[in-house]
Amino acid sequence: MSQLTLNVNGQNHSVTVSDGSMPLLWVLRDLLGLTGTKYGCGIEVCGACSVLIDNQVEHACVFDVTSAVGKKIVTIEGLSPDRSHPAQQAWIEHQVPQCGYCQSGMLICAAGAMKAGHHGAAIASEIHNLCVCGTYPRIKQAVAKL
Amino acid sequence: MKTSSPLAPVPTQPLSRRDFLVRSAAGLTLSFLLPEFRGFTDLRAAPASGGPAVPINAWLTIGADESIALTIGSSEMGQGSFSGLAQILAEDLIVDYDRVITVQGGPTTAVPAPIGTAINTVGSGVTRSNFWRLRDAAAIAREMLVQAAMNALGDPTRANYVINNGVVTHVPSGSAQTYGQLAGAAAMLPVPVSAPLVPDSEFRLIGRTQLRKDIPAKVDGSARYGLDVRLPHMVYGVVRHCPTFGGTLAAMPAKPAGMIAVVPTRVVAGTNRGLEAVNNFNALVVVGPNTWDVWQASKRLSVKWNLPSNVASLNTTQFVNEAKALASVATPYVAGGANLPGTLYTVEGNATAANAAIYQGAAVVDATYTLPYVAHACMEVLNCTVDYVAGVKCDVYVPTQSAKSVLTLVLSLTGLSASQVKVYTTYLGGGLGRKSEVDFVSQAVQVGMAVGRPVKVMWPREEDFTHDQYRPMAVIHAKAGVKVDGSVTGWSYRNVSPSILGQRGAVLGAKGDSQGIEGAQALPYSLGARVTEWVSHTAPIPVGFWRSVGASLNTFGVESMIDELAAATLADPYQFRRNLLTDPRWIAVLDAAANLGGWNTPLPAGRARGIAIGTAFNSIVAEVVEISAATSTSLKVNRVSIALDCYLAVNPGQIESQLTGGVVHGLNAALYGKQTFVGGVAQSKNFNASRMIRMNEMPEVKVALIPNPAAADRTKPLGGVGELGVPTFAPALANAYYKLTGVRLRSLPLFPNATMGGL
Repeated sequence: MSQLTLNVNGQNHSVTVSDGSMPLLWVLRDLLGLTGTKYGCGIEVCGACSVLIDNQVEHACVFDVTSAVGKKIVTIEGLSPDRSHPAQQAWIEHQVPQCGYCQSGMLICAAGAMKAGHHGAAIASEIHNLCVCGTYPRIKQAVAKL
Repeated sequence: MKTSSPLAPVPTQPLSRRDFLVRSAAGLTLSFLLPEFRGFTDLRAAPASGGPAVPINAWLTIGADESIALTIGSSEMGQGSFSGLAQILAEDLIVDYDRVITVQGGPTTAVPAPIGTAINTVGSGVTRSNFWRLRDAAAIAREMLVQAAMNALGDPTRANYVINNGVVTHVPSGSAQTYGQLAGAAAMLPVPVSAPLVPDSEFRLIGRTQLRKDIPAKVDGSARYGLDVRLPHMVYGVVRHCPTFGGTLAAMPAKPAGMIAVVPTRVVAGTNRGLEAVNNFNALVVVGPNTWDVWQASKRLSVKWNLPSNVASLNTTQFVNEAKALASVATPYVAGGANLPGTLYTVEGNATAANAAIYQGAAVVDATYTLPYVAHACMEVLNCTVDYVAGVKCDVYVPTQSAKSVLTLVLSLTGLSASQVKVYTTYLGGGLGRKSEVDFVSQAVQVGMAVGRPVKVMWPREEDFTHDQYRPMAVIHAKAGVKVDGSVTGWSYRNVSPSILGQRGAVLGAKGDSQGIEGAQALPYSLGARVTEWVSHTAPIPVGFWRSVGASLNTFGVESMIDELAAATLADPYQFRRNLLTDPRWIAVLDAAANLGGWNTPLPAGRARGIAIGTAFNSIVAEVVEISAATSTSLKVNRVSIALDCYLAVNPGQIESQLTGGVVHGLNAALYGKQTFVGGVAQSKNFNASRMIRMNEMPEVKVALIPNPAAADRTKPLGGVGELGVPTFAPALANAYYKLTGVRLRSLPLFPNATMGGL
């Protein structure tokens, strides 16, 4: 058992894990109750678990929790308190989600690309996550003016 | 019933409200909570303002606080039907769409059932099945509210009242009352048998794109899917099946350190499919403090399984060879006979006549098409959360397309009474047909009963891929004769595939499995003498309903064959089809897709187009697929143009989304989708071995909807939407591939060995 402090969405959280190699995904979901970050594949293919760690998009399904200590973690819940992040607004305006399960990861990737200074189509080219519903065209429309 | 002005007099008949509720609710996919039902009498006495909501009828409640809630027992899996139903309701209730709140309903065992079997969300059916009944309900509620206003003002002339967004105004006096103010009095009135609907020409909402109500919660992480359920004191279970289908637990492993339990789970009656026989202990579930620790403990566990005796024969190669043999020789169905798998069912026509006619053609095309098993691969893996207290209650939280089936199952497994069981349908992270099954629910209930505390049970992605109930494999043998002028003299079509309904215990009649032959029978083409046959395949791998079901197999077979006939006569594939069609709706859809796809405009070198048309769930759909850059391992899909006639489109923007999604689903399957078996073990275990396209590979998709009728006829069926993008993609792709390369693609997927990285 080890006790760790994580900074998630601007707040410090103390968590106790039995296994320091537990991926951040399960710490967020099971221990902190932040279920907006999704499990899809567990092998870094689908991107549903994307989070920002020190402004970089990372796959939480394979990111050891101990490696996240001391870093700033942002999940979908932390993008804005009120759906006011420009990407969230664009997602609503363009009616992007269908089942919606992959969209947390999509939005995190868009937000990460924006933080890196990308705009419009360059944001879309930074998003490699899987969507089985086929929301890709609307994501492209949504990021076009970001 | 014809549509007429809402201002026309309303025929009323004094029926008890309960009669209305029961009769009208039967078969609806809309629900309400039973406590509201029981509390109905009490609520009549509710104060006119500030009190609780007053139920007007079974499907909607109009509150004294002006709230309008529609409670729906179907499931929301991205198809947007919650919002579509709210749109329909708001139209005939004459309120703004934004005012209607949609609430997830639950199943009930009340008799007579207020929901009935329509709770299941399958067959692209929610909007089309409920369109007219929901409109009737809204219109009746609206006229009861107006009647309440008439009674209050003492003027019974309906024409003196107008409605605007839930405000009833008496024109002569200018007196205005809101629905909320009228709701209490309206609830006391006799219920009219019917009420006039808003005329199509006055539609404000139906046929116009509206914003979906579930989308805001899907951009901030707050939408709760099954896997997101958290209950106080909840523990976590991770499922591990025998890797081999049909295998059973040989011995119980010891409980790993730090874990709460290891629970063996058996196949429950009603969830048995193929090799997975009733009462076989085919899986175990490790239970512990969090998903990760449990999953790791589960992986480390050494488990011994007994394998089925026929394990050596459970190979894809053997399944395909057996199917090919059955495509030539199979034992005809005998009424009253055993009709074991391997039986030939004649669905329509006569083989002798068709075969004679085929050889009157100038050319005879004989082709065999092969389709693989395909997994569903919903983005959200299978999961279910159960809170069971012995003798007291069982609450089930589950992403299901079949809440009613879940309820029945839980009652049976727990022995609890109906009032002790509650089923909560969460959002579904994709359903695609897989979440209409309840095998995963049965496991979670067994675990919940064993541990006696709230437990969330999850299938890791590898279990989801390897223990699916797959789209059936199929071998399709088609043969047809064609004359030089493009007329078809005879048509023989035989589909050999495992039976979805047969694996569910259905006794197949003379025409076999209706699911297996969807999309191949009653074709509107002029095909001369025809025979359509289906043969039940013996392969015991579990199969199930996969988005568009049989149409996804047969539209590939039929439309590839039609294309081969066009090629045999050197005809243009679009004109060849058009010349064989007489149904004006089919021709209109074919023309719409061809126009949208620029069929008659020249293409740059290295590009080619293919076309296909088909039908499913009462809709007609056609696609033009444009491709380029084909190599032995890849190709580029540049554009897809899709046209749909669903008779009446409710929310065009959402239909565009659904059709685009169907195209992607069909594309992933046609290019890459497959599950293969060696010794009864599924070989593709995760997305890395089951490739799907990413955003940079997405083709441009354009959608054309056949315009809505000027005045919809309620005797004509509305068509489905959710599954319609899928079936015509694969054949249109194969036909484009032939045009581009000269090679006829008769076996799917096109790139069976594709992978996509990952760990």
